[in-house]
Amino acid sequence: MKTVTINPVTRLEGHGKISIFLNDEGNVENAYFQVPELRGFEKFCEGRPVEEMPDITSRICGVCPEAHHIASTKALDALFHVEPPPAAKKLRELLYSAFFIADHITHFYILAGPDFVMGPSAPKAERNILGVIGKVGLEVGSSVIKHRSDALDVIATIGGKRIHPSCGVPGGVSKPITEDERIKIESIAKSEVEFAKFTMKLFDDIVLKNKDYVNLITSDKFATDTYCMGTVDEEDHVNFYDGKIKVVDPQGREFAKFPAADYQQYVSEHVEPWTYLKFPYLKKIGWRGLVGGKDSGVYKATPLARLNVAEGMATPIAQAEYKRLYETLGQKPVHSTLATHWARLVELVYASERLLQLSQDKEITNPNVRNIPTQTPDEGVGAVEAPRGTLFHHYKTDAKGMVKGVNLIVATTNNHAAISMSIKQAADGFIKKGDVSDGIMNMVEMAFRAYDPCYACATHTLPGQMPLDIKIYDKKMGLLHNIRRP
Amino acid sequence: MLVGLGNPIMGDDAVGICVVRILKEKIKGRADLEFKELSVGGVGLVEEILGYEQVFIIDSIASAETPGKIREFSPQDFKDTEYASSPHSTNFATALELYKKFNTGTIPRMIRIFTVDINPEFSFREALSPPVQRAAFELAELVGNEIEQIRNQVGPSATSNTNTSSLA
Repeated sequence: MKTVTINPVTRLEGHGKISIFLNDEGNVENAYFQVPELRGFEKFCEGRPVEEMPDITSRICGVCPEAHHIASTKALDALFHVEPPPAAKKLRELLYSAFFIADHITHFYILAGPDFVMGPSAPKAERNILGVIGKVGLEVGSSVIKHRSDALDVIATIGGKRIHPSCGVPGGVSKPITEDERIKIESIAKSEVEFAKFTMKLFDDIVLKNKDYVNLITSDKFATDTYCMGTVDEEDHVNFYDGKIKVVDPQGREFAKFPAADYQQYVSEHVEPWTYLKFPYLKKIGWRGLVGGKDSGVYKATPLARLNVAEGMATPIAQAEYKRLYETLGQKPVHSTLATHWARLVELVYASERLLQLSQDKEITNPNVRNIPTQTPDEGVGAVEAPRGTLFHHYKTDAKGMVKGVNLIVATTNNHAAISMSIKQAADGFIKKGDVSDGIMNMVEMAFRAYDPCYACATHTLPGQMPLDIKIYDKKMGLLHNIRRP
Repeated sequence: MLVGLGNPIMGDDAVGICVVRILKEKIKGRADLEFKELSVGGVGLVEEILGYEQVFIIDSIASAETPGKIREFSPQDFKDTEYASSPHSTNFATALELYKKFNTGTIPRMIRIFTVDINPEFSFREALSPPVQRAAFELAELVGNEIEQIRNQVGPSATSNTNTSSLA
């Protein structure tokens, strides 16, 4: 592979910007997916009381504030050496399950669904949620909105707000819930389970019964044979809230299992001179560039990666769906990028069943929801599975609890290398000897959408999006094509 | 209702939230006027304004050349973004259209959108830059006057809140 030398001052920046570099023959040599790197966060946090971190960090991202809030709160537990009471842990996990439901429903129906329901080659004017509603009917559309909204109501009940909850405190949560609230949550959870089952059936009918889609899912064009990362419980089942971080190699063999606090022994971050964004990789394997295989430290931390590292799901319907996924695809691990959508729906089923389990646990109304910290704070790591991958928060403080250092590895950053590799694969099929074929935009979009990449601060904007911009360069960094979708 | 959009810890991006805070301080004790500070877009934003009759939305807009410039838009101005690509979320125009299709009758009859031009920095800061801060006060004055005019024309009931969507 030829090396592309880019002047360090021309750092690649931008929202949703994809840069594709061609070799001498005009074929794809490398592709990079770029999300905005927010600078100065560590400096911003230094000198602040560390208890502010769950609220500050949840402001990093308008898409998954709940993930940051809970990871941050867990980091505070560790930093203050305090164990939350059982009711508090369950309430946090309950909130977190509701968050997964809202997030995965949004992704499937609003973002990924149009590619499948309308078809990858459908006109853009139809390939969106409005087109989906037109096809599946208003009743289904209403149900989508209702179940997403109900999940947010559960978050508000525990976290105080539908968006940016603020219940997490070191040693527990800020308030208990009442029996009336528990009953309402239970009722919502029952409906969420039914809706998750319905969604799985819809996926069956529309995607799995369509040979072309199944071929697309299983195509080598959309597969990255990397290591996989995810959190598992003591039974090796997928867990979003707590457990050990497990990594399997591209063949599915266990490579590592470690508590979040040890993450620096296993994960390192590669820096390229031309981008502020880092590329996390497995330290013991090493960075070999944007390549897969056992000798490359690149890993993915996605819904599919979580299923690949686990031995199953902890709830019955999700477990049956987990088994069906691997039986249908005929292997484990599965590396097909587009199978991530299927894995996400297995997780939707699990999150709904877990919400129901927790809502029926009478302990969640126990008023003892916090153990007050009594020890001197020093250092703590908290991790959760965000919907789009493993999320690490790591803080250091002085003895008064004032922040001295912060390190975050966010989910989309974990997947940065894998996303770039998937985009390269998708682009490969459409760029030959410098000629760019129509359809590259759709396929590249499908490749990265499977990862559900997070666009951080962009999410509050009124248009609610950033334009997708694909730039294709020759080996001398000369811009050959700029394909832009507003 | 008055909605301020933005990220409160990202410098000028918080201008919408600042305008809401200025007006909250200025217009106190009105049961018929509600204030919201939000960091959300698309479906999430539309869900927050459902059930209100008249809504002002204040946000920043990326335009490095003219920081501090105030603009006004209607939802119609975003109509051509309806089918635009979005890798992670849907947009405001699409979300609004989606809810219109459901015909729930809870979409505000008036949505006015005011923006302030900012030069996006992608770095963390809690203060506004001088031109954007000046614009925040100017816009607060402008929106405050608009709210007064509405009250004078149609009376207090026009801004009453009928939102009952919360579980709690």
